[in-house]
Amino acid sequence: MATGSEILLETLRHQKVEVVFGLPGGAVLPLYDALYSAGIRHLLVRHEQAAAFAADGYARAAGKPGVCLATSGPGATNLVTGLTSAMMDSIPVVALTGQVPAPLIGKDAFQEADTIGSTLPCTKQSFTVRSAADIPAVMDRAFRTAVSGRPGPVLVDLPKSVLMEPAQTSYPPGAGYERPVRAREWQAEDIRRAARMILESRRAVIYVGGGVIASDAASEVAALAEITQIPVTMTLMGLSAFPSRDPLSLGMLGMHGSYATNMAVTRADLLIAIGARFDDRVTGKISGFSSGSKKIQLDVDPSEVNKNVRVDLALVGDACETLQALTEELERQGSAAVQPSLHSGPNGGAGRPAVTPARRQWLAQIERWREEHPLGYDRYTRAIKPQFVIETLSRHADEDAIVAVDVGQHQMWAAQFFEFAMPRTWLSSSGLGAMGYGFPAAMGAQLAFPRRQVMAIVGDGGFQMTLNDLATVAQYRVPVKIVIINNHALGMVRQWQEIFFEKRYCDIDLNFAPDFAKLAESYGIRAARVEHRTDVVDAVRDLLSDREACLVDFHVDPAENVYPIVPPGAALADMIVEPPHVMAEEEAFDDLWAV
Amino acid sequence: MQWTLALEIDQDPITACRLMNIFRRKGVKLSALAMAAGASGFSLTAVVETPAGDVEHLFHFLRRTEGVHHATCYQHEPSTKACYIFVDAGADHSRAARILGLSPQSKLIFASGDKYLIELPAEEGVHDAGFAGPGELPYAPVMTTRTAAAGAVASG
Repeated sequence: MATGSEILLETLRHQKVEVVFGLPGGAVLPLYDALYSAGIRHLLVRHEQAAAFAADGYARAAGKPGVCLATSGPGATNLVTGLTSAMMDSIPVVALTGQVPAPLIGKDAFQEADTIGSTLPCTKQSFTVRSAADIPAVMDRAFRTAVSGRPGPVLVDLPKSVLMEPAQTSYPPGAGYERPVRAREWQAEDIRRAARMILESRRAVIYVGGGVIASDAASEVAALAEITQIPVTMTLMGLSAFPSRDPLSLGMLGMHGSYATNMAVTRADLLIAIGARFDDRVTGKISGFSSGSKKIQLDVDPSEVNKNVRVDLALVGDACETLQALTEELERQGSAAVQPSLHSGPNGGAGRPAVTPARRQWLAQIERWREEHPLGYDRYTRAIKPQFVIETLSRHADEDAIVAVDVGQHQMWAAQFFEFAMPRTWLSSSGLGAMGYGFPAAMGAQLAFPRRQVMAIVGDGGFQMTLNDLATVAQYRVPVKIVIINNHALGMVRQWQEIFFEKRYCDIDLNFAPDFAKLAESYGIRAARVEHRTDVVDAVRDLLSDREACLVDFHVDPAENVYPIVPPGAALADMIVEPPHVMAEEEAFDDLWAV
Repeated sequence: MQWTLALEIDQDPITACRLMNIFRRKGVKLSALAMAAGASGFSLTAVVETPAGDVEHLFHFLRRTEGVHHATCYQHEPSTKACYIFVDAGADHSRAARILGLSPQSKLIFASGDKYLIELPAEEGVHDAGFAGPGELPYAPVMTTRTAAAGAVASG
């Protein structure tokens, strides 16, 4: 007979788990004793929060559940922020927590915490394992639940006595996460109606959220956009779902969305929401959000329909399946916009549908908005502009590079200026906005794809929350590239205090901070500090060509703000747009762009 | 808006606790609540108050919560389809007894203070003026996972 610990590890193998992020403690000692010779990769983190963030980053990049492991009590409670972030963003994470021996539960034993109770709000489902023989079935259900319907984190609490208990058991066939359940609730008539609405529209916008990534429906979105020539905007969670360089890409909408995108959404006559939940950061003032449009909402979660914004038609089901049906129906119903091109026109030609006049006018209007207020920044200043760092990274990164960001101004600049070519290359704690996320999430993504370029773009504030895991990166030689956008402040808070609180700056000064490059070097990680804009390009090239972990600390203009910005309580159309400043005396700036 | 919710859930206190937490977080006011343990799980019946615009969202949120097997939303429906009668008896406790007497197959779901929830048998036909008294609210199902195909919702 095997012990509960051995059964658990065997179950992880059955679930095709490749790596576990964790930190041992008393309640999980039996498990770690079994792990000693189990052959499952375990990454020892320096704080359980990093384990949860790393599991999250792994899951976002790989498209399968990430696993984190913590001991009882404080180990488990340290997972809460990471689990809450995963819950908010619908990320499949399986958290394994140790618990005190069963006879001691509820008696305030050493390192006992009510883990299940503490994590009820931040988990999709929770299990307390009562006997070792139950472990395979519980774990299979946990993995399946994590990926089914709307994905989310699941917690399995394991009393120490169960981990030590000998048992005979059997294992369900296959891995639970390979059998997700996603119910379809729309009918064929709903699809026909949606197609009619699309074909009748003149100023449509496709609004894509994280659900497209979760459903691996990027190709289906691209097909829909291509066949209808409808432009595509993405939420912070949906970035990378549609190629940034596609002419139909509008980039991000919402609080820090571009002028053209926000105006397009505001003036649209049809909004097609796919895997997006009309979050307040996207809508601004709800009464002013795309008020003249009809709305179609595709979502796997029926509770998101009409939650924030009333829609005209809901299609509840998996995004991939729904979009396939919709595209087929559009082809069947047909119109000048979707028939294979025997028509001439600006976009006509073999293999590409012609664009109807109405669509052409709409795309031209959007282009005019782009020209009116392009996303930009002062390119002629001596200071290092953070947007320039982001653009340079984007220009030199591999096409399949994975970018994990922390939370704050740098996150918004990365969302605005980094270009994505394929899905699952953008990792961001979007709903919760948990600082400290970026670096451990990058670590998790790197473990999922050891040979791909993975970079963490972080602020100096967020990085200080989880930089202790530089030790993990060094210990396991995880080749993440760490880019610090260092403005010596809690930048987004400073910006809000500047714009909305009459510059009454309070507790945003982070000038008292270590030299991050020297700190990284003390861990044996190659690092550099960049303070002059003429050094930016070389530093980025050097960073991205390094085959090992590397850190570059870019000291950027501390006064730079993120624009556009939609003030709280305002509609998208009322965004504050700051045109880039142009200095009278231009420097020899073009040299910086030489490649 | 007052409405009645009936849930069938896992026989697991974790699920029950999760539901209570959802009620708290979603600002659901519980006018009356009954839970029972059965062979295959727990059943929960509650008379709740929420803004009218939240009813649909809350129903869908609960029905897709892990551990919930079935969910039915009953709303005040002065028609022949009533399945529950909610009686706010005040000082007159005989009113519940009168209704139970009018419909012998009916079942008292809970009695708490001066509030009673009575389930009417499905085969009962007309529920006439006997239930029309003040503080006596018939509820009929408007959304349920019960009779529809798996994964869908039937409207009452």
